[in-house]
Amino acid sequence: MKTLLALALVLWSVTAAAQDVTQRGFIEGRAFVFPQDAVNDPTQAVGDFLAREEVFARPAPWLRVAGGIDLRASTHDQVSDDWQPDVSDRGVRRPRLSIRRLSATLTRDHVTLDLGKQFIRWGKADIVNPTDRFAPRDFLNVVDAEFLAVTGARAVVAAGAEAFEGVWVPRFTPSRIPLLDQRWTVVPTEAAGLHVVDATDPNALPRGSQTGFRWNHTGEGFESSLSFYDGFNTLPNVDAHAAGFPPAIAVSRIYPAIRSYGADAAVPLRWLTVKGEASYFTSTTPGTDEYVLYVIQVERQTGEWLLVGGYAGEVVTNQRAALTFAPDRGLTRSLVGRASYTIDPARSVAFETAVRQNGDGAYAKAEYSQAHGAHWRFTATGTLIRGNPADFLGQYRRNSHAALALRYSF
Amino acid sequence: MSRRFSVVLACLTCALLGAPLSALVDDARQIVVESQRRTEAESQRYEGLLQVLSAKGKIADKRWTFERLGSHGRSKAVLRFTAPAEVKGVALLIVNHPERSSDQWMWTPGIERDRRIALQDRSQRFFGTDFSFEDLEERDVDQYDYTLIGDDAAGGAACWKIGSVPKRTKVSQYTRSIVWIRKDTYALARVENYVNDQVVRRLEYSNFEKVHDIWTARQLEMADLRRGSRTRLTLDKLAYDVPLKDDDFTLQAIRRP
Repeated sequence: MKTLLALALVLWSVTAAAQDVTQRGFIEGRAFVFPQDAVNDPTQAVGDFLAREEVFARPAPWLRVAGGIDLRASTHDQVSDDWQPDVSDRGVRRPRLSIRRLSATLTRDHVTLDLGKQFIRWGKADIVNPTDRFAPRDFLNVVDAEFLAVTGARAVVAAGAEAFEGVWVPRFTPSRIPLLDQRWTVVPTEAAGLHVVDATDPNALPRGSQTGFRWNHTGEGFESSLSFYDGFNTLPNVDAHAAGFPPAIAVSRIYPAIRSYGADAAVPLRWLTVKGEASYFTSTTPGTDEYVLYVIQVERQTGEWLLVGGYAGEVVTNQRAALTFAPDRGLTRSLVGRASYTIDPARSVAFETAVRQNGDGAYAKAEYSQAHGAHWRFTATGTLIRGNPADFLGQYRRNSHAALALRYSF
Repeated sequence: MSRRFSVVLACLTCALLGAPLSALVDDARQIVVESQRRTEAESQRYEGLLQVLSAKGKIADKRWTFERLGSHGRSKAVLRFTAPAEVKGVALLIVNHPERSSDQWMWTPGIERDRRIALQDRSQRFFGTDFSFEDLEERDVDQYDYTLIGDDAAGGAACWKIGSVPKRTKVSQYTRSIVWIRKDTYALARVENYVNDQVVRRLEYSNFEKVHDIWTARQLEMADLRRGSRTRLTLDKLAYDVPLKDDDFTLQAIRRP
């Protein structure tokens, strides 16, 4: 923490001295309305506020620095009360004030080195990304999850059509799972009235580092990658047991050590682009599944439409886990699709859906977005979730909702 | 009118007028070669103001910075939006090739992802403007076959009117194009792009200035004739032969604003 804050001060002074500085930011208010109440959460209207500012500077031709801060508020206790700037993003609640990114990028010839808190995205698919291992997410709203940055070093060596990438993340950043007393943690009707308490030892988060390697080939007619990841799953196994008096359910999160071996490819054909992505996950942590996640999708842009459709699948090779929180696996064995249409330069609509192949769960999201002038954008979203309570998607069937967002960008 | 019929008609016209077709073709190509030679520069940079005028007259302003390294056919370019605020940082990398269509990637900072623009998607509008992704490519003389159609005026200047048809190796949404080249400066004055017999996009060049000894249009207006909308691009802070590094024209580089 102290090291990062010191780095922040150094970067800030470097940025202040730089001639080539750009910024972007926005202030956004969002309102969610849930027509149905939930067993553990009677709240049906939630308001969020987010202010974000990001600054990018180039103090020297070989050096770029990037910094960003978020300021948040919530009407539903989803934001920590602590005003101290948060760098690690490891809390169960969103930080009030956080360093969203803080990194330095050094380039020399064909080598690029990124150091600090940064976003690292792997994979080519659009809806499910099995190889995207350095990308924890904020799942306080499971179907509207933002990515979190990780703190580490990333080196890329580009040589013609080949790019070799190595990543080292010394400190683990978990995905933020739903709050236990809120609707995205589903409590069975039979357990209504029981308290669910977080029994996770804050010091028990994985201490080891994560490493990854990726080789990307950019061919004339296709792109492909091979990747390897050795570290921890940002999504936890869950241990739930009865505890204490008055009776409660104690929940502990365990982040298993995993290795994954991945590949992805994009092949533009005459009428559409085919994209595929797959990863095989192994683990030495007891009670952790071993499995293959894969997605195959086709993409086509026609007129003002961008259409994406495909299938996300899973093959469990070694079933050992009893309970997990795994939205990536929860969206598999599903047909997935997304369509967006640009009405005019200011207005667009988008539709997204995932339907389980056995019909046990489905969600559909529709979005209308309209810009006003150069700064304002209004977005209305409707999300419908249906299905069987035993299904990952179906369990959220009481969480269908409508959302309105108003953003001022600057 | 099919492409084959156009060629047959051009041959018949040449035969009737007594001019050898090969001479007209050579003349046309030489004019385009000279036009291209006069715009050669090691690099180029400008700040562009884009004004999108819909059929109903609504105007949306966008701004981008454009940097190009190399010239004609072997160049690389990065185009990065600077306004409006919500699209700041969106970038397009274009790697042109002399023998085939360019490679293009778009970086969207909001989702921290880059996306390769597939060839079949190049006919789509670029970010709500009337330019398609293909229109942002650099046209290289060797990617087209040319025929001199005749003389005409465009933008108040006498021009050669030249037909161009993409070669087999060039994947294009357009069946053919007609190009107006000014006789006084060899600068492009107008381009009409056809799909079969229909003009679908018309690009007009205006406000010519000599910058670094290159006659350059400071204003380009692309009209999408099917939609009835137009996009006006005004070039500010235009400079040629500026010092740019090859490393700034890579996928890694467009991820960094």
